[in-house]
Parts: sequence; structure tokens; C-alpha cells
Amino acid sequence: MNWKNVLRLISVDIKAGRLIRGQRLRRYREQKIFQYLEYGGACILGLAIGIGAGSFYAAVADPQLKTLFYQGARSLFLSLPSLALIFSLVFTMMGQIQRMGVRSSLQPPYWLPITWEEHTLASTLANLIGVPLAFLILLSLAIATVSIYLGQMPLAALTIFALMASAFLASTTTEIFRILQVRLIGAVYKSTGKAAVWVRFVGSMLFFVVFYVVWFAFSSGMGSVALIEAVAGAQKAVWFVPYVWLGMVLAAFMSGLLAHTVIFSLASLLFILTLFYVAVRLNARFGLYELPAITVSRGVYVPKVGFLGKLGFSSLESAVMRKDFRAFTRRRELMYVFIMPVVFILMPLMQYLGIYGRPVEPEPSRFLFAWILLVPGAIMAVMLGLMIIGEEGGSVWLFFSSPITARSLVKCKYAFVIILSFVAMLVCGAIGILVAHPSPDIAIALLIESILLILALGAVSLGAGIKGADFTEAPRPRMVRPLTAFVYTLLCLVLALAIFSPLLLHAVTMGYMPVPVPLPKIDLYVAVSISAVVALVITFVFYRIALKNAEEFLLKAEM
Amino acid sequence: MISTGEPAVKLSRVAKRYADITAVDYIDLDVKHGEILGLLGPNGSGKSTTLKMILGLVKPDSGSVNVLGINAEEDPVAVKKQVGYVPESPRLYEFLTGLEYLDFIGDIYGIEVSEKKKRIEEYLEALELEGREGDMISSYSQGMKQKIALISAFLHKPKLLLLDEPLNGLDPRSARIVKDLLRELKPQGVTTIMSTHILEIAQAMCDRIAIMYEGRLLALGNMKELRQKARLPGSDLEDIFLKLTGTEDIREVVEALLK
Repeated sequence: MNWKNVLRLISVDIKAGRLIRGQRLRRYREQKIFQYLEYGGACILGLAIGIGAGSFYAAVADPQLKTLFYQGARSLFLSLPSLALIFSLVFTMMGQIQRMGVRSSLQPPYWLPITWEEHTLASTLANLIGVPLAFLILLSLAIATVSIYLGQMPLAALTIFALMASAFLASTTTEIFRILQVRLIGAVYKSTGKAAVWVRFVGSMLFFVVFYVVWFAFSSGMGSVALIEAVAGAQKAVWFVPYVWLGMVLAAFMSGLLAHTVIFSLASLLFILTLFYVAVRLNARFGLYELPAITVSRGVYVPKVGFLGKLGFSSLESAVMRKDFRAFTRRRELMYVFIMPVVFILMPLMQYLGIYGRPVEPEPSRFLFAWILLVPGAIMAVMLGLMIIGEEGGSVWLFFSSPITARSLVKCKYAFVIILSFVAMLVCGAIGILVAHPSPDIAIALLIESILLILALGAVSLGAGIKGADFTEAPRPRMVRPLTAFVYTLLCLVLALAIFSPLLLHAVTMGYMPVPVPLPKIDLYVAVSISAVVALVITFVFYRIALKNAEEFLLKAEM
Repeated sequence: MISTGEPAVKLSRVAKRYADITAVDYIDLDVKHGEILGLLGPNGSGKSTTLKMILGLVKPDSGSVNVLGINAEEDPVAVKKQVGYVPESPRLYEFLTGLEYLDFIGDIYGIEVSEKKKRIEEYLEALELEGREGDMISSYSQGMKQKIALISAFLHKPKLLLLDEPLNGLDPRSARIVKDLLRELKPQGVTTIMSTHILEIAQAMCDRIAIMYEGRLLALGNMKELRQKARLPGSDLEDIFLKLTGTEDIREVVEALLK
């Protein structure tokens, strides 16, 4: 293994971030300070946490509290390898998901004298760069510092070693998953033929939903102390699973079982080496595997005479909308738009149905219904609006070179955002009605409110999506500049509150929400009418802004 | 509104700078209706920027661009309706099939349904894409993607074709079809401006050749006029090109590399 090659490949991966950071490409100069800022911040924070916790321990006079703190710290050390494994697994998988579907700039340079071992090691380590590495640095420094106060330096050293090994183990697992999923998808394409597009869509949706639900259930379903205790306890119960062996090393060391410590350490090392070997072999076998072509249609070509045409869209506008529909159902990096609303329904529902271990509520609340009906559609409108122009990526030259006007561009993109958000809202509303059985008055009022939110927020985010469009595609598509997305998401939140405030006022005056003083009642339909006026004014103003932004966008069509 | 008395494309004192780099340096160029003009020049000489300015994709810093009697800055949409464009590295929607992409292009240019079907089928057959038209473009080779990009440019029967390296990656049969097609479109008044690095193609196909270097128009004319300008009677385009661009020191470069 040529270690210099590994370092060179990792350095290429780090540099791929330049495209994401959106620096000017001509006469490029690296801003080292920004490149290492997150790691520097992690160092400072880790030291601060370590010193803070250590000083607290040193200052505590009560021996009982001191023992409790000491035991707590040991318990935390014990659970850290498994927690780091889960955390690294989630982040490296998320990194892979974002890269999927994009022709990566970091294809294996198979024509260069680089071995698959070097490539796999570089890829595995590069997966950890960024948030996972900063997190590891933070934890390691905090552990090292606090261990000086606790007098547990050997245990801290072993914990840090186990943390690093866990992260590597997680990244190797992700690497194996990445290679296998490419091969598996190839097999699915071949066996499903024309249905491959929909099999891929449904499969990806299911994968994302399960992934997010497990992650949210894991991270928000219990408190941090309960989580640490649960992990530490579960480790012992499933000691035969190789992924917890690093935790078992620490458990054995703490119990003074030297032989067990050595056995679990060697077993962990062997497991990591075996997984790495598997990743190398899989890469050598399938690393250059080309996915088979997906054949979507066969037979005689029959141009579709559009249904959209009957709704008043020109052939150009209908064509763009049809193209966008295909993009969102075929490009995996865009599919998460559909996942967020699903997750936003599942989270409160799972909580309500007691899946997180909390007691089942006796009666479904009005707020549960309001949440299910209002939030998914509105979120979808905001997300779609922000990304609907930037998702064009490098193919945007076609918009610049084709006879599309600003009016047509805004009309078809806005209509697409609204239609898809309406569909999400209707599906969520139906689920909400089945679960919460709201009164017809509440159901109708919230349905109208949801439509108003979608109309207004769709216009706001579309204007922002045009202004802040970012066509960078590698190593992952950006679609919208992060600052624009952040500012306009906040603006959408404020405007949503402004639209919804008459209904909130109605809820307060009707006594649905507790208030110290009784207030005169506001009729539901008066509240909805005021809300409608506010929403329509916002929609009108921001649609005009979107038009103006589109005119500028098409005029400054420089690629 | 198209005035046939005027040249198909007229560039007057057009300049474009990117930061401290001059991409196009005050060029004047008239292209006649039905003419095939070749744009030659080394990498970075301003060919692609010139093509983009004609289409209105890049706004010139100074000067004016008139295309088919329309000011490209004042009415870019009217210009785009009349133009077929193939960029140097066309990025297509890879999630669409070849057929879906061409159908999309047909709708973008408002081609009537039966006419669109007829033209798409003809082009797919001519360029040997039949049988693969239902596959996603992501699975196409570079040459197949280039064919799709070329069909997209021809589909709406444009009056002006702007082609940046149009024969990139094409197999000999398809390249021949495209060359013959461009020649056949000439009598119908279709103007073609194409940039290429393949000098033999430029010499064989183009009525006139414009040689660009560092954003400037060094020479413009037919082969006879270019030979006169370079003072190289009887020589081919390669010698003329190397002499005019001052890059004829090939022998010394090769010898230095072999040391």
C-alpha cells in the first residue's frame, strides 16, 4: 500500500468541497482558515467541555455526587464507541445519499497506477471528513481533558482509540453498502424492465423513510442519559454482534478483565480488517460497474396531447412541467422532497400511537390534525420553490438558449410547486381526518388555510429559488445558495405565522389555548377570511418579485 | 421581423471581458444568409464566447449583435426561436429518454404534434438511434448524446445554426450525414456558424473561415483570400492557421519535448 497515494486521493476529495463552497474558480486561492474552521472550533469546544466538566468534578465536595459523576462519566465512556458508530454510520450514509444520482467528480482513477486497496482506504477515510471528523475531535479532546481530573487516563486513551476505530468501522460499512447498492440497483433494473423507474422511486422512498424514522426515533425518542444507559445495557446483551465489540473492550477493561480486553480488542481488529478486505474485493469486482440502461418506453412513439394544455398551459410550459415531474420521480437526489412530508406525518403519528414508548393519548388532539394538514404541504412548497430552478444543474443552458419568457418560466415552475404541494396536502389531510376525526368546520378551515399557505410560501420560495439558484452539481447538487435558503426559510416561517395568526387568535378566544384573561370571540370564518386576504397579498407581491427575478435570470444568462 | 437585405448575423465592435481576461476584443463580422462560416482558433481564442453572444447567452460589454434583423439584446426570445444551438459539451437531461428529450424540445419550440412525431422519427432513423430512443440518456455514449443534441438543434427547422464543435464524438457515418445536411440546408437559406478544431472539415465545408486568436479576428475569407493574407500560395489550412496565429514553431516544441 502506497500511503502517499492514499493521502493524495483524500486531498482530492477534500478539494471537491471547493465546488460546494462556491468559491470563484478562476485564479483559485484556498482560504485555509475556513477549510479548517470546523476542526479548530471542535478543538476549542472539546477542550472547553473537558475543562468545564473536570473543574465541576474537582469543585464538588459532596462525595455522593462525586461518585455519581464518576460513574456517569465511566458509563458515557462505555457507550461512546457504539454512539460514535451510529453517528458516523448516519452521517456517512447521508453523504452517500446526497452523492447518489450525481455523476461524481471522484470516480476511481482506474487508469492511474493506484491499487484498489489505496482507493478503498482513501474513500473510507474521506467519508469521515467534515462533521464526523469534527465530532470525533471534539469528543476525543473532551475525554482526554476530563480524564486528567478523573485520574482515568488509560481508560480515556482506550476510549479515544475505540472511538476512532468505530468511526472507521462505520465508514467501511458505508463503503460496502455503497458498492452493493450500485450492483443491486443494476440487478433490479435488469429484472424489472420498464417498471425500473417506479421500482427505484418506491424503493428509494422506502429506504429514506425507514432511515429517517429510525434516526428520529433514536435521537428524539429518549433523553441523552436514557440513551447512554440504553446503549451501555444493550451492548452487553448483544455481545456476540461484532459491531459492539469495541464497546465490550472498554467494558472488560473497566472490570479489570485483562484477558477479555485483549480478546475483544483482537476480535475488533480482525473484524475491521475483514470488513475492509470485503470492501476492497467488492470495489475490485464492482467498482467500475456501469448501471444497465433503464428502458422506459418501447414501441411506437405517440406524442402526448397534454391534459395540461386544457388547463391553459402552453406547449412549452407543459413540456417543462412534464420534464420536472420526471426529474423529481427519477433523480434520487431530488426524491427527498417527497420524504420530508412523509416524515413530518410519521413523527407525530408515531408519538401519538405510542411507538416511542410514551403512553398513547386518549383522544387525538386538534393540534395533531392541524399539524398533519398544514405542515407537510407548506414545507413541500418551500423546499420545491427553493430548488426548482437550481435543480436544472448544468442543463440550464437549454433554458437560456430556448425561447422561454420570464412569464412562462415563473408560471410553469410555480404551477408545478403548487400542484405537487396540493397533492401532498390532500394525502396528508386524508390521513389526518382518518386519525383525528375533526369537525367539518375545523377540517374545512384548515384545508383553506393549508391552500393559502402553499400559495403564498410557494411564491416566496420560488422568487428566492430564482434569485439564489446554484447550478453546482459535483460532488453533490447545491440547487440554492445556502444563505438564500436560510434567510428565505426564516422569512417563510414569519409569513406563515402572519397568515395563520387570525386562526391562532380564533383558537385563543375560543378557549382552545389557555389565556389568563377572557377575550371576545372571533368567528372561525372571519378569521379564515382575514387570513386569506393576508395570504393573497403576500402571494401577489412575491409572484411579482419572482417575475422580476426571472427576467434578470434570463437576461444574465451567463454560464 | 426578418429583413433579408441585411446579413444573417452582424457583429459590430463587439467586446467581452471576464475579469482581467479579454475573451472577445472588438470584432466586426457579417455572415450572409445561407453561408457556412467556420470559426477557427486555438483554445481560449474566443470562439465559444462569440457563438454565445450571437445567441444572447452572453451579453457583450460593448458593441451590438444583430441576428436575422433582430437586435439580440432587445428581443432575445425572438432570436432564440430562429436559432438551433449545440454547445461545446451539451449537458442533456440524463433522466429523460432520448425520445422524451426530443419530444420536450419539440414542445419547447411549439412544433405541431404530427410534424414533431414525423421529424423525430426521421432523425432517429437517420442517425441510427432507433432501438435506443426509449433508454435513459444517462446510459448513452458521448457520440449518442451529441447526436441527440444535434437533432435538438435541427428539429424546429431554424434559420441560423450555431454549432460549437458539432462533430465531436460522432461516428464517420453520422458525421457525414450532418455535413451533407448542412450543405443541403444552404440553398434553403439556412446560415451556419460552426466552431471546429478539425481544419480539414472547415476547409471542406465552409464558404468562409474566420481565424480568431486571443479574442481578435485575425483573418476572414475563403481559402484563396486566406492564402493571400498568409502569403502561402498553394498551402493548406493548417499551414495558414499556424502562420497567422504565430504558432508555427511546432518543430522546436517537439524537439524540446523529445530531449
